[in-house]
Amino acid sequence: MKLSLSWIKDYVAIPEDMDLKKLAYDLTMSTVEVEDVEELARRFDKMVVGILERLEPHPNADKLRVCKVDIGDGEPKNIVCGGINLEEGMRVAVSCPGAVVRWHGEGEPVVIKNSKLRGVESFGMICASDEIGLGDLFPASQEAEILDLSAFDVPAGTPLAKALDMEDVLLEIDNKSMTNRPDLWGHYGIAREIAALYDLPLKQFAPFETNAESDFKVEITAPERCSRYIGVEMSGVEVKPSPYRMQNRIWKAGMRPINALVDITNYVMLATGNPTHAFDADNIQDHIVVRQALEGEKLLLLNDKEIDLCADDLVITDAQGPVALAGVMGGAKDSILPDTKRVILEIANFESTGIRRTALRYDTRTEASSRYEKAVDPERCDQALSLSMQYFKELYPQMKVTGFCDRYVKKLKRAEIDVSLTWLAKRLGKDLSNDAISRKLTNLGFEVQIDGDTMHVTAPAWRSTGDISIKDDVMEEVARMYGYDNFEATSFTTAFEGAINQKDQDLIRNIKEYLAVRCGMQEVYTYPWMSDTFVHAVLPGTEGVLRLSTPPAPDQGYIRSSLLPNLCEAVAKNERYFDEFSIFEEAQVFFDRNYRSLYDETESLPEQRRHIGAAFASSEKSISGLFREAKGVLEFMPRYTHMEGFDFRKEEKPVWADNVVWLNLYLGDEKIGDMGLVAKKVSLECGIKNLSVILFELDASKLKPLKSRTNRFTHLAEYPETDYDISMLFDSDSKWVDIYDAIMGQKKAAALVKEASFVDEYRGRQIPEGKKSVTIRLTIGSDEKTLTSQEIEQTAEQVMKKLGKKLGAELRTQ
Amino acid sequence: MKDKINGILSEAQERIGAAANENELQNLKSAYIGKQGSLSLFMKEIPKLDPQIRPEMGKLLNQAKNQITDLIDAKRMDLKLKASEVSPDFDCSVPGIMPSSGGLHPITQMCYDLNDTFRSMGFEIFAGDDITSELYAFDKLNFPPNHPARESMDTYWLEGHDSGKTSEKLCLRPHLTGESVRYMQTHKPPYRFVYPGRVYRNETTDAHHERAFFQYEALIVDKDITFTSGKVMIKSILSKVFGTDVPVRMRSGFFPFVEPGFEIDMQCQVCGGKGCSVCKHVGWIEVMPGGSPHPNVLRAAGLDPDEYTGFYVNIGLDRLVMMRYGVDDVRLFHSADLRFLRQFR
Repeated sequence: MKLSLSWIKDYVAIPEDMDLKKLAYDLTMSTVEVEDVEELARRFDKMVVGILERLEPHPNADKLRVCKVDIGDGEPKNIVCGGINLEEGMRVAVSCPGAVVRWHGEGEPVVIKNSKLRGVESFGMICASDEIGLGDLFPASQEAEILDLSAFDVPAGTPLAKALDMEDVLLEIDNKSMTNRPDLWGHYGIAREIAALYDLPLKQFAPFETNAESDFKVEITAPERCSRYIGVEMSGVEVKPSPYRMQNRIWKAGMRPINALVDITNYVMLATGNPTHAFDADNIQDHIVVRQALEGEKLLLLNDKEIDLCADDLVITDAQGPVALAGVMGGAKDSILPDTKRVILEIANFESTGIRRTALRYDTRTEASSRYEKAVDPERCDQALSLSMQYFKELYPQMKVTGFCDRYVKKLKRAEIDVSLTWLAKRLGKDLSNDAISRKLTNLGFEVQIDGDTMHVTAPAWRSTGDISIKDDVMEEVARMYGYDNFEATSFTTAFEGAINQKDQDLIRNIKEYLAVRCGMQEVYTYPWMSDTFVHAVLPGTEGVLRLSTPPAPDQGYIRSSLLPNLCEAVAKNERYFDEFSIFEEAQVFFDRNYRSLYDETESLPEQRRHIGAAFASSEKSISGLFREAKGVLEFMPRYTHMEGFDFRKEEKPVWADNVVWLNLYLGDEKIGDMGLVAKKVSLECGIKNLSVILFELDASKLKPLKSRTNRFTHLAEYPETDYDISMLFDSDSKWVDIYDAIMGQKKAAALVKEASFVDEYRGRQIPEGKKSVTIRLTIGSDEKTLTSQEIEQTAEQVMKKLGKKLGAELRTQ
Repeated sequence: MKDKINGILSEAQERIGAAANENELQNLKSAYIGKQGSLSLFMKEIPKLDPQIRPEMGKLLNQAKNQITDLIDAKRMDLKLKASEVSPDFDCSVPGIMPSSGGLHPITQMCYDLNDTFRSMGFEIFAGDDITSELYAFDKLNFPPNHPARESMDTYWLEGHDSGKTSEKLCLRPHLTGESVRYMQTHKPPYRFVYPGRVYRNETTDAHHERAFFQYEALIVDKDITFTSGKVMIKSILSKVFGTDVPVRMRSGFFPFVEPGFEIDMQCQVCGGKGCSVCKHVGWIEVMPGGSPHPNVLRAAGLDPDEYTGFYVNIGLDRLVMMRYGVDDVRLFHSADLRFLRQFR
């Protein structure tokens, strides 16, 4: 919202020497956020009013003329101008060198310099209204029309800002910071707040009185939606421009002047915050009825949009039907028309939420609806009436009030609250005197009675539409008027009830740090919604997958039941820049099942689980290398992150996985996740071209943190241990788990074998078809003595024998 | 002859001692004990000597030869130990090898920094669920029934769960505050906890607006808390994040779930409060809203607002991370773009 300081000063006597920065700061700290304080005159720096003394043709251009312009400093200036409405004696706006304009009102600002136009020297520029930002205030009727200021009777050389009453300050207020303060949506409201802040007198409006007698009447059949409606019927008016002063203010507040009748209604709204509307009285049949619309009724709005009304809309009607969408927009037929001679002025109060629903329903938020939807108080109609009638009388001395009706069907009840002074002091953390408290509140329009510890507070009407309703609201008023910044910080007392111990929280963090720091993986974030392409490529189906009602994009309706579709998308995106990387994500996934809530028995929430997913991508590594890297990350995770270990089984192939390279993760008998190579078909559907990708995903909600670290100390070997490598030929499809089990299982292959580890496996040249060579490292040692080389070799032989017997392994001969 | 041998010996001793490298040692070796070496030449003269002194001279020459060989060997060992193992043109300016290429997301890092700070002040960490009901997103937080935030233009409602009773109307949580009610319902006061998480808004995105972003809320609830206690909390957070004491100010603000409500500004860290383009020339930057939980919110959590009060802040993590690193487009956080993420290891 934009406010003119000079307009505010109509209502509160702000001292001339008031520091505006401080005013803006104080308002920001106590009331609303002032986003900008602009000295308006700066926009018109180096611009003056000039008088065209003589017009001469341009020697080299038909469309240009050379003007002799008096700008009040003696010698007339030569200015080349292409304006089509130039006339000798005309007053024009001259931008002298150094002024900032926009060519034809568009593009970047340009600084005016002395220049030559087609060979003729030109001092500055004669401006069109939009070139100096005044297009809305002085709309041009045609192309290349110069702003004609002849109506402004000022001497040549008068600064333009002074001539046009622009020596003003504009305050820009953040609308969001006053959504809860309907009383502030106008110049008078802000003036009232300033008066309270600085203890300044505030202007009061004289009540409007009339003795008009006629059968003019207004009927309200929906009192819950319209608590008050004042209609004033007037004759002796006409459509004409409003006085410049009014236009100027309407423009400063960010609206466009239209004509005197419309301008009065807008001006009153900008002043008081109460929207008003004027109907052409000759088009209103019989009398005005405020009622809820009937299903199927139609209304053509002022913006030429025809709407089909519904029963939830409130309308202003006459005998023929709806004439306006109450509080939102007038109808095209009965509003002010060029030949309007009689009007009915509407000053009304409508219920906020209904206005909001209607404005949203027809996508027509207006200045009026955005004020009504904040909950304006009905008492404000009196101010709006007083101010409106003042201007009607001033602008139309012939005007007669021919009818008047004030229907106030639902009186506002002012909020009354009892506040304990002890409670107040405790919550403020500060003892303020009763006097200080009551002065701060009365300045804001509250009535205060103190009786012992109880302070009885009656809120002013303009704060009683929901804004002030409980004692905490009263405390806030006292605190903000005292200034939040004036309270010293007080620390909260520490009560040691034992250290914080949250194993579940720690586990997730440990896993993420393990993946990032130890395993060299990068954490990524993706959105909870998934693109259909990846959903169809990666997931088994869409059954049980939840959807958004209004998704960010039509093909992003599903929200994730798995982290893998988005991880695949991330892999595809990064393939352009990297040929090897590994990423992970931790986030919640959602399932359309098991609805319940731990918190409220009526609540029903879907199943939500915390997952950790990862992708290992490489175009260089062998698949077995990539697979072992990913598997290693999982294998060592329980050890490094202090949780119960899980194991790998091969029970159920994930749909996205390659036929051979996949595993399921089990914690006890419960499946907690999968890992595997992304099948070629899936990766092509995901747009992954060259990378091999291994994925894993596990349900972190099922992981079990250990109560404490459980590594056990083992004594250091007293006698040396020896590593002894053997290479044997196995059937190509034999598994390492079986080899390991044969050596280290319940019945060990040899008493002195302490451990067996996988070194590598090899298929190909020199290896017979259907076989593979596996190199195994045996750790051999004894707790009782140092072994001789003979004993070591015997042990290795025992192992090889067992492998031969159990798995048909043969010693590799070459 | 004896003197000559002794002369050669002491000269050799000196020259070997001064030798700087293996080459010189080789030269000295051949100069003294090589085939044409000076001692070898004496050797050839032995048969010409008086047989009386021959054995003595022979012994003397052999001793001298051995002595020189020992000297050269000792010197060689000495040179070896003092020398480098590599050639002198070894390039030490070659860059190192990165130990590990992984990293946490910059927002996770910021979140963990804050967790550490709050843990040290005795706060618990609470993680709620992303999908919530209108009951917890709005009703229990004192949002009036027609509040704009409830509409689909601001909130992501779930298909098939977007009408009916508020306890069955489901959405991706539009803010975290509802989680505080869940925590309070299941724990005993006094409370001191934080609840970080991702929240979702149905809005048009640009460099400063996102549909999914991270918030971090902290709440204390106890019997004797004034709203100014919150200042301590805020200062602790900001000094942790920025590493220095950051001046803060509290000013009036409005949110349905707090009463009173504040906007909390910190001094602009770019210009030090003098005014610059980052802070729009005011010297202050809005960092977080805060306030005392509204009595209706405390009631919803089962507490008596006459007995209990509290202080709450909501920190926009995306914004804080953007300020910390000078990131100028909030959409990068959910881009999963490694070129961006790898800058924050």
